[in-house]
Amino acid sequence: MKKRFFVVAILLVALSAFIFAQGKGESKPKTDGPVKIEMWYNATQTEVGPLPNDWIGYKILKDRFNIELEASTIPSNPQDQDMKIQAASAADALPDFFVANREVWLRLAKNGMLADVTDLYSKMPNRTSIMFDQGAIDFTTIDGRSYGFATPSIIARNEGLLIRKDWLDRLGLEIPKTTEELLEVMRAFTFNDPDGNGKHDTWGYGAFIEATTYEAYPGRRFEPLLGAFGVEGTWNMTKANFGLQIRKPEFFDYMKYMKTIIGEGLIDPNWMAYKKDDFRAAWKQGKFGIMREQNAAYSAQNNYAPFDSNFPEGEWVIVEAPIGPKGKQSIGPEVRGLRIWAISDKAAAAGKAEKIAEMFEWMSHGEGYLLCGWGQEGVNYTLDKDGIPVSMPGPIGFDGAVGQTYIQLRSMAFNYSSDTELLSRYPVYTTEVSKKQMSALWALREMQGKKWTPSMGADSMPVPSTDLKTFYEQGLAEFFTGKRALTEANWKAFIAEFDRIGGLAWEKAGLEYATANNYLN
Amino acid sequence: MKRSLINDIKRQKYIYLMIFIPLVFYTVFKYIPLWNAQIAFRNFKSVRYGILNSPFVGLDNFKEFVTSYYFWNLIRNTLMYSFGKLLVSLPAAIILALAIYECRRSVLRKLVQTLAYLPHFLSWVIMYGILLSLFAPGDGIINDLLKSLGKKPIDFLTNSTTFPWLVIFSDAWKEMGWSAIIFIAALMGIDVALFEAAMVEGASSWQRVRYITLPAIRPVVVIVLLLKIGTIMDAGFNQIFMLYSPAVYNVADIIDTWVYRQGLLDGRFGLATAAGLFKGVIGMILIFTSNFLSKKYTDNSLF
Amino acid sequence: MKRTKATESVSVKLTGADRRFNILVNIVMVFLLIILALPLWSTIALSFRPSTFIGTYIQGMALPPWKWSFAAYHSLLGNNGFLIAFTNSLKILFQGVFFALLLTIPLAYGLSVKDLRGRKWIIIFVIIPYIFNVGLVPIYILIAKLKMINHLSAIYLPLAIGTYNMLIMKSFFEGIPNELRESAHIDGCNDLQVLVRIILPLSKAIIMTIGLYYGVAFWNDYFHPMLYLNKDMLRPLPILLRNILLAAGMNEFVEASAFGEAPIEAIKAASVFMSAIPMIVAYPFIQKYFTKGTLLGSVKG
Repeated sequence: MKKRFFVVAILLVALSAFIFAQGKGESKPKTDGPVKIEMWYNATQTEVGPLPNDWIGYKILKDRFNIELEASTIPSNPQDQDMKIQAASAADALPDFFVANREVWLRLAKNGMLADVTDLYSKMPNRTSIMFDQGAIDFTTIDGRSYGFATPSIIARNEGLLIRKDWLDRLGLEIPKTTEELLEVMRAFTFNDPDGNGKHDTWGYGAFIEATTYEAYPGRRFEPLLGAFGVEGTWNMTKANFGLQIRKPEFFDYMKYMKTIIGEGLIDPNWMAYKKDDFRAAWKQGKFGIMREQNAAYSAQNNYAPFDSNFPEGEWVIVEAPIGPKGKQSIGPEVRGLRIWAISDKAAAAGKAEKIAEMFEWMSHGEGYLLCGWGQEGVNYTLDKDGIPVSMPGPIGFDGAVGQTYIQLRSMAFNYSSDTELLSRYPVYTTEVSKKQMSALWALREMQGKKWTPSMGADSMPVPSTDLKTFYEQGLAEFFTGKRALTEANWKAFIAEFDRIGGLAWEKAGLEYATANNYLN
Repeated sequence: MKRSLINDIKRQKYIYLMIFIPLVFYTVFKYIPLWNAQIAFRNFKSVRYGILNSPFVGLDNFKEFVTSYYFWNLIRNTLMYSFGKLLVSLPAAIILALAIYECRRSVLRKLVQTLAYLPHFLSWVIMYGILLSLFAPGDGIINDLLKSLGKKPIDFLTNSTTFPWLVIFSDAWKEMGWSAIIFIAALMGIDVALFEAAMVEGASSWQRVRYITLPAIRPVVVIVLLLKIGTIMDAGFNQIFMLYSPAVYNVADIIDTWVYRQGLLDGRFGLATAAGLFKGVIGMILIFTSNFLSKKYTDNSLF
Repeated sequence: MKRTKATESVSVKLTGADRRFNILVNIVMVFLLIILALPLWSTIALSFRPSTFIGTYIQGMALPPWKWSFAAYHSLLGNNGFLIAFTNSLKILFQGVFFALLLTIPLAYGLSVKDLRGRKWIIIFVIIPYIFNVGLVPIYILIAKLKMINHLSAIYLPLAIGTYNMLIMKSFFEGIPNELRESAHIDGCNDLQVLVRIILPLSKAIIMTIGLYYGVAFWNDYFHPMLYLNKDMLRPLPILLRNILLAAGMNEFVEASAFGEAPIEAIKAASVFMSAIPMIVAYPFIQKYFTKGTLLGSVKG
């Protein structure tokens, strides 16, 4: 009996040792071996799978730079990215080199988790000449030292105001130029059965809530309407009239305009309930005739195909933003759209910073650039007569199912402004049903030609506290739904309370920051 | 027989042996994090600079949470949803289990039993799609019905009167089958001989349910109830996070969604942990009280 | 679930009250059937919806099968990362459920022994961390210290005893008559043997149920793998699903979705099927254990 007891006891202890002694398999760092760089990057296309282990770039980095790169994708959801990076920072488990948005980067930098990279720019002459102008360096500078590399992540001015041209034609209407004309078109789209199916199932405007730091609630999809009243974006970034747009008297005029649209039922009534996917499904089903949409989401081949087969006669045109009562007009605030690549303090302490710069520089030109952007010549792409990379046919081509995995690091290489990148990225194609010639690049060029409001730095302005932001958004939403009546008195009371709980302080902090960084124009 | 401590432990050495490793597990994976939770009292930045080296700030994080602008609103909403769910979901699960157990039509029984588990596997992303298809003001099925009856459509999802009901009942629908499994398992343990005896004595179906079936699942129901009361300050983050929008913040924002926005996304982990501890203290008070009451009145208790 | 013959045969003699009771039960069941089946059907129909479909939700539910599109399932199952993610998920599932039951059963049994010295204090010891959910970072710090980052065990070990599940199991063990244990002791069995030879065979239903609760939670866990697994090759299905589902919303950054024909709503709906895989597989087995009156034979025999 006793003996058996001990056997069982030993077994149990052994088992618990096994359970709790996880993670001993970690290899010890070798002193002479290659420099190991752990990198967290954002995948170019999250759904196709990670960069394969047999990517030729790994071998090149090892042979030529003595770098053993270990690349991992960050979560596909921006909030998860922020949480993961900050949690890793709290537990001192940051990777050596990683990408983050500015708010997260700023907190990490202030917490002393990031390496000073001021001296590394000179080690990357080519990348610096392409990407890091003074504005980009300022974006990551705290007290005169830079703590990260700000690289382009979106194409400037890549959204536009779109109207269903076929609906206008059927109802005998012109393209609206002013807010009043726009209202008339919305009414016609809502009540005059523009799709001719005999049912009241269409609306004038379509949108959903998409707020960012520089496009506060109700956000991006309403910017052309806000712009008509001169209150586009979170901030007015002019020297003459700096401030929070919500505190401007014109914002009340915008609210009245919105109330007209909502009150008459001219906007798709689901707008408050839609998420991005629902909104995109809705315009493909012909639910509304006016919207703000992104160039590729509107016109790239796979995105346009469902609309094309649902409405072969359908046609969207990109129009200029409506002109408001005081002559104001804007598609929305224009920012640089930068993401920051940062080196952790831990990596710099281990002497990895220069190796990281070497690798980053390699990715910015010549062989490394082509490899990250398009893959291997003759395998994933060929160059056409103009020197534009064209995808090889079949899955291994850079736009095929397998080939796409080999260009997951593309966002580290591209600067999204050269014609080569855009022509190759947005090829011209013929739609399947209506046989139209389309290209997301044409759409982009047209959108870029419209009137935008330069708002450099608006995306790095101070952010409100959670409670203040909640108050802001909830207040506006309640005016929209009618829970609060939109009267002058109610509005004044709302703004007064907003000021009291931190709105004024927020504006003041914004002014200080914008002045210090020369963002006012 | 004299019951000394040593004798008792010797007598039950295998039991202590059995629970030893699980208790080590609790020490490592539950109590060390609880020790780490002292970051709630510190201005903590990163382990890199040490937890114990981060400056001690006392109750500052707690104060920030408790004095925040929407604090009472958050508490009200949190309690509203967790009690609402307790009152709706738990009875729904019990009724479902009983109905399945009592149903004599085997096809119907099997169909319901199979289908009832499935909604648990719909994530809230998908649930949102279903709710939109039912309740969307533009083209939802319910609103199409209202419109055809000549009524005005209702914005169920963005209206602060209807939103709480939507939250509570969609949760009941989604989880009742899954939580019923445990009650069905309890019903399986009922000795069939009891029913035979009841039949012989001429007990009606109602009496059988009342005197045999319900008492049989009572211990499990009490345990489930007590455990849910202990976590009453968790009102279902994933659901609210997916369903809410600024138009209903005043009735939708709960402690966890606030902590997510203010604490986790903003990297304020001390604050987030403080809110967690705050919730824990309330949960502790509630679970001890309700355990005491339950012991007194139902003779079932956790400890 | 089958009823034992005894009740069926006795119930032949029905009084009026019994009949009304049965009718009520049937009405409740039909009501449940309707409210469960319709939304589920709409989800299934949605997963087969072709991208060219226009119409109301009700029309979508009535779409005949010959117009169904399998593109959503194709784009999920045909994904480059599917096999790796599926394997990782299976590993997490099996290792997780194994360790979870290995740790949960002995503790639940130990705490179900009513005359165990210090039982109350041990239960309180176990409940405190259940109530105090300290959140993300205190646990992350521990996982990083234990060097469990990038190990699948980081996903299931910290969750290997769910206090809720353990206490439920304990309450089931408490339902087993104490005489069984005592008579086994008299026959010379120690408590370990009592657990293995007497308690476990009687508790298959609850062990399967709790195992299922653990398994489904591990299988569908997105949050912990997202935090603790950095290497792409270690990531399980929920992360792959999230990557696919979010891609459509992210095409500010990409020029074309890789889905081809499938609309995003259909892919979302089809992903339900993936998360229910363990349930679909395990369900028939569980049914088997749910049919037997678990206690009956033992007390009499």
